[in-house]
Amino acid sequence: MENVVGKPVPRVEDARLLMGQGKYIDDIGTPPNTAHIAIVRSAYPHASIQSIQIEKALEVPGVKGIITGKDVVQYLNPFSVGVSAPVKYYPIAVDKVRYVGEPVAVVIAKNRYIAEDAAELVKVKYETLEAIVDIEKSMEDDAPLLHENVGSNIANHRSFHYGDAHSAFKNADRIIKHTFNFPKYSATPVETYGIIAQYESSSDQYTINANFHGPFVIQAVMAGALKIPSNRLRIIVPKDIGGSYGIKAGTFPYMVLCAIASRIAGCPVKWIEDRQEHLSASSSGTDRVTYIEAAVQEDGKVLGLKMKMIDNVGAYIRAPEPACLYRTHANTTGAYDIPNLMVDGYIVMTNKLPTGLIRGYGGQELYFPLERIMQMIAHELQLDPADVIRRNLIKTEKFPYHTASGGIYDSGDYEKGFELALATGKYTEFREKQEKARKEGKIFGVGLACIVEPSGSNMGYITIALTPEERAASLPKSGCAEAATISMDPMGNVNVRISTTPSGQGHETVAAQIVADVLQIPREQINVVAELDTATSAWSIASGSYSSRFASLGSSAVYYAAHKVKEKILKIAAHHLQTKEDDLVIESAIIRSKSDPSKKYSMKRAAGSAHWNPLSLPDGMQPGIYETYYYTATIAEPPDENDLINSSITYGFVADMVTVEIDPETAEVKILDYFTIHDAGKLLNPLIVDGQIYGGLVHGLGGALYEELAYDDKGQFLTGSFMDYLCPTAPEIPNITIKHIETPSPVTPLGAKGLGEGNTMSAPVAIANAVSDALTPYNIMIDSLPLSPTKIWQLLQSSKVKTT
Amino acid sequence: MDGKGKITLEAGIERAWDVLLDPNVLEKCITGCKKLEPIGDNKYKADLAVGIAAVKGKYDSTIEIADIEKPNHYKLIVQGEGGPGNVEATGTIDLTPIDENTTELSYSYEAEVGGKVAMIGQRMLGGVAKLIIQDFFKKLGKELKRNEMSA
Repeated sequence: MENVVGKPVPRVEDARLLMGQGKYIDDIGTPPNTAHIAIVRSAYPHASIQSIQIEKALEVPGVKGIITGKDVVQYLNPFSVGVSAPVKYYPIAVDKVRYVGEPVAVVIAKNRYIAEDAAELVKVKYETLEAIVDIEKSMEDDAPLLHENVGSNIANHRSFHYGDAHSAFKNADRIIKHTFNFPKYSATPVETYGIIAQYESSSDQYTINANFHGPFVIQAVMAGALKIPSNRLRIIVPKDIGGSYGIKAGTFPYMVLCAIASRIAGCPVKWIEDRQEHLSASSSGTDRVTYIEAAVQEDGKVLGLKMKMIDNVGAYIRAPEPACLYRTHANTTGAYDIPNLMVDGYIVMTNKLPTGLIRGYGGQELYFPLERIMQMIAHELQLDPADVIRRNLIKTEKFPYHTASGGIYDSGDYEKGFELALATGKYTEFREKQEKARKEGKIFGVGLACIVEPSGSNMGYITIALTPEERAASLPKSGCAEAATISMDPMGNVNVRISTTPSGQGHETVAAQIVADVLQIPREQINVVAELDTATSAWSIASGSYSSRFASLGSSAVYYAAHKVKEKILKIAAHHLQTKEDDLVIESAIIRSKSDPSKKYSMKRAAGSAHWNPLSLPDGMQPGIYETYYYTATIAEPPDENDLINSSITYGFVADMVTVEIDPETAEVKILDYFTIHDAGKLLNPLIVDGQIYGGLVHGLGGALYEELAYDDKGQFLTGSFMDYLCPTAPEIPNITIKHIETPSPVTPLGAKGLGEGNTMSAPVAIANAVSDALTPYNIMIDSLPLSPTKIWQLLQSSKVKTT
Repeated sequence: MDGKGKITLEAGIERAWDVLLDPNVLEKCITGCKKLEPIGDNKYKADLAVGIAAVKGKYDSTIEIADIEKPNHYKLIVQGEGGPGNVEATGTIDLTPIDENTTELSYSYEAEVGGKVAMIGQRMLGGVAKLIIQDFFKKLGKELKRNEMSA
C-alpha cells in the first residue's frame, strides 16, 4: 500500500461541511427547558456603575431572571493570570466598567427575542470617568487609572539582556533606530462565540458545550473562577468550529458567565454571540509600540539589537496574556544571526477590549519593527535590502541554531529559501521595472521579509513574565503535552480520538493519513473523532488548537499512538504465527512473515482475538485494543535562571517578496504580486498546507491594508460592524505564488513543523516594506498600520507640502 | 464630532429669539421629538427617536438652555441616553440683526456619541447631524412664517 502522508489527499471534513451536515455549536441542539440570554453591555469606556434598574425588564413576560455583577461575584473568584499584578477580572463588570462592550447585566429569557427586548429596558446609571487608550500615555503618572488596587496601568515589566549588547552598541559603526506602532485588530471567524451551559445542583457540576479550542490550561482557570474541583467542570467541544484563528480562546469568560447564569436561573442557558458583540467584546490581537535600535556595521551586519516593547492588553490582563509578548521570545532576533540582544517588555492596560490569541500571535508585532529596521538599515547605508538580509541570515551550517534568548531553531536552509524568493519574484528585473515606472510618474515598490515561524508552544514560556526568583517560588512549568487515543473494535476497524480541537485545519484528514501509513490500512477505513470532552478525552494543559501545534505535536501523538497499536497487533500475530515480531510486516491489512511468506494473519483476526478470545493472547497481555499516547518534546524545558527559554518546539521559515503599485491620485495600494517561500519541514498534506497559507496570508493582508479595531481618543469603539471593520474579501486577494522547500525537523517523528501563521506574521511588514520602498522618492517611511488610502494620501500630501 | 454654520432668518431679532426659544416650536422643529416638557427653568425633558445608519431607537433626553444673553446668544445642551447608546451635544447660537426683518443666526456644535451609535453609526454621524440641523432650520423657517401670519 502506498503511503499517504505527504500526499495532497482531499479533506474528509469537506463532504459534511458542503452537505450541511457539519456539527457546529448551533447545530447540536439544546436540553429541554433551555433559556436564552442577552447581555446588557457598557456604552462607556470608563465609568463607575451607580445603579442598575432591572424591575421593568423583569416584568416582560418570558423573562426568567436578570443577573448583574453583584449577583455573580458571590459565586466566583477573579480569573487567575500569569502576572503578579492583582488585577481582578470577572466575566461581568462589578463596580466599574472599563471598556465599551463590557457585560453589565445578563437577561435570561424563554427565547432570544424576549431577552433582547428586555435587555433594552435595563437602565444602568453611570458616573463617567476619564478614559485612556493611548499606550504610552497610559504609563504616565497622571494617567487615568483602570485598576485602583494595582496602582498603575502597568501589569507587568521585565528586562532581559543576552550576550553583550553594550559592547555591540559601542563597537557599531552606526546605530539605526525608530519607533513602530502595530494596531489592534482581529480575526473575525464566520462563526461567533457559542455556548450552552448547564448547572446540576445535585452534583454541583457544570457542563459547558462551547466552541472553545483551548489552550486547556484555561479549563483549570475556569474551574478556579467557579470555585469548584476541576473535574466538576466538564467542557465539550463540538466536532466543527467555524474558524477561530485564536480568537475563540477568548470564549472562556463567557463560558463562566453562562455557567453562573444557568446556576442562578436554575435551567440550562444558551448564548450565541452576535457580530457587534464579537467585534466589540470578544477578544482581539494586541496592539504594541516598539522602540527598536540596531547596532550595525557599514556593511549592513547587525551586531546587536535593543527593543522596548509595550503591549496593550486592554482593560484587563487575562490568560493567556502576557503571552503575546513572550510567545516569540526565543525568536526575537528572527531569521538573523544576532547574538547580542536587550529586551524591555511592558504590559499596559487601557480602556479597550481585552486581548488574547490571534493567528500569528506576537509574530506580526515582532516582525513589523524588526523587518522594517532591516530595510531602514539598507536605506541608511545605501545598500540593497536583499544584501542586508543576506549578510545577516543564519547560515545553513549553523543548524540547529541557538538564538541569543534561548531558542533552538531545529532545522532550516534560510539562504536557499531567501534566494528562491528573489528568483521566483524576479527581484532584479523588478528593480529595473521600478526605475522605468518612476520615470513615468508611477509609484512601484518591492518589499522583502524573512521570518522564523515558531510552532508548538512550550508551556513554560509564559513564566518568563515572572522573574527567576518569582518562578522559583512555584513548580517549574514546561512541555507541550498532547494526546491521542487509537482503538480497534472487534471487527478490526479503527477509531482515532484527538484533542487538538480543530477549527477548520483538517486535523481529521491528517490524523487518518498518519494512522493509515503506520497500520497500513486504507485511510477511508479510519474514523477520526475530533470532539473534545474533558471528562472522557485524553487531554492535557497544552491541548487545543493554537500556535500551529497539530503538525508538530498533535501529529506526533497520533503517530506514536498508532505505533502502540501496531506493536500490540504484531505481538498478537507473532504469538499466533509462532514467530518473532521483527519478522513481521503489515501489507494492506495483512500481517506476513518475512522469512516464511506462507505465514500470514489478518489484522482483523488479530484485533478480533483481542476482543473475542482474550485467552488466546500472549501471557500477560490485556484484552482489547485501546492505546493512548501522551507526547511532549524533550526540548521544551522550563526557562532557566538566565531567562533562556526555547519558547517553541519547531521553527519554520518564510521568505516573502511582494510588489506593489500605489495610485498617485487615490493613494490606494495595489498588490501586484505576492511570492512566498515556506520551509515547514516535511509537509503532511500539501493541499491543506496551501489552504492554510492562503488563509494566513489574506489575514496578514488585512492587517497590512484594512483591519483595525478603532477607538477614538476618548475610548469610544468605532468599528462595530463589517461596514466599519474592513476585512479583505475575494476581490482583494492578490496573485499569490507559494513555493516550498522541505528541511525535515529532527525534533518531531514525522519531520513536520507547524505552518499557516507564517504569512500573518510576515505579510504586514512585507507590504509595509514594499509601500515604504515605493514612497522612497517622497521621503515617506511607514511606521504604523493599516495602510489605508487615507493614511497614504495624507502622507503624500504632507510630503508634497514639505518639498514645495 | 463638531461643526458650524450660518443661516439667515426672515424675522427681526426679537421675534426670531422668541420663536427660537418657544418650547412648542422646539418640539415641532427638532427631528424625531415626540414630547418636550419643562422640568425646570430653561430645562426640558424630551423623548427623541432618531435613526443613525442601522441604529434606530429612542433616547430619553434633557435639553437645557444656558448662557442666555437675550436676544443675542444662548447655548443648547442636549444629553440623551437610550437603547442605541448615548449622545451629548452642545450647541452655541448667536443672533445678529441685519435689518428690521432679517437676522443672521450662526451656530456651532460639538457632539459625542457612545455605545452602538458610535460603533456602527460613526461613519454616518456627520451627515446625520447636518440633516438634523438643516431640517430644524427648514421647519423653523416655516414656523417663523406661520408666526408672522398669526401675529
